[in-house]
Amino acid sequence: MTEQEVMELIDSSLAEEFELERAEMIPEANLYEDLGLDSLDTVDMVIVLEGAFNFKIREEEAIREIRTLGDIHRFVLSKVKQHS
Amino acid sequence: MATDSQCAASGDSAVSAFSIFLMNLWVYPLLIVWTLFGILVFPILFSILKLILQWPAGRLTRWFIWMYGRGWLLLMSPFVQFRREHMNVMQKGKPYLFVVNHLSFFDTYCMGMLPVFDVVFAVRSWPFRMLWYSGFMRLAEYLDVEGNSLEDTICRSKRVFAENGTVLFFPEGHRSRDGQLQRFYSGGFNVGIAGGIPVIPLCIAGTDRLLPPGRKLFHPCRVRLKALDPIDTKGFRDENGHVRLRKLVKEKMSEALEKMRAEED
Repeated sequence: MTEQEVMELIDSSLAEEFELERAEMIPEANLYEDLGLDSLDTVDMVIVLEGAFNFKIREEEAIREIRTLGDIHRFVLSKVKQHS
Repeated sequence: MATDSQCAASGDSAVSAFSIFLMNLWVYPLLIVWTLFGILVFPILFSILKLILQWPAGRLTRWFIWMYGRGWLLLMSPFVQFRREHMNVMQKGKPYLFVVNHLSFFDTYCMGMLPVFDVVFAVRSWPFRMLWYSGFMRLAEYLDVEGNSLEDTICRSKRVFAENGTVLFFPEGHRSRDGQLQRFYSGGFNVGIAGGIPVIPLCIAGTDRLLPPGRKLFHPCRVRLKALDPIDTKGFRDENGHVRLRKLVKEKMSEALEKMRAEED
């Protein structure tokens, strides 16, 4: 998968799960302030990403540092690289 | 000079203001007395009924909470007309997952309208911090979906289903500010699918007039609780099944609520 395809899969999976508007899903968007997610969504987000990319990330400390959609892109891209 | 319709409108608003005043004069003190009575009497009645019925503590506490809710409905009944609809879709002693729209803090009390009492509420962490309720919530084995992991919530829910109990979620997570359905969280639907039990959507209307978020005074109104047909979760076990189930339930609730609102207008 190219980086673009990975980011597209992240965005489409999150949009589907959280009923988000694709136009609002820019890398700088804060998950909590701009996209309206909250602590319960963080759990669902991990499950969605694990399902989409077939890896386990729920124990990863780095997840706690994620604030923006761009953070998710970077985190998942690094995990995809590790697994390829 | 005031017209007849202006006089009638000002007369109506005076009656309305008086009924609101009377309702709050009645409801608040009685609600406090009923809650204090419940807290004081609970340990004695609980011990006696535990000996007689031999029910597990959680189930017995859930019965007490249901009775507390029913008592609250009775106290409100001079000012609020409660109506439950289509409840015959529930078979007694069969486990379900209830999902309810959320309009007011008092939606939970209105669950006293349900014909079944063995209902475990799945709620966020903050209600567990209310001193006067938290002990009862823990004893009733309510689920803290914010404080526990999804796996833990599923595991505990499966135990409830195994004992033919029901789990209730508010899929919106928060009270609606405009009466419209908000975004649904997936957690509850994952629980239903993992438990392999039917989902019964419940539509509540009127509590946003009774006591919406941000208001302190109760208003006389009519509250309706309508059960929709059960949805079998067995066809939703694929990877995206919870999303499909969530969308289906939301669509059915949205349609039903729209009809209910139109009937009230």
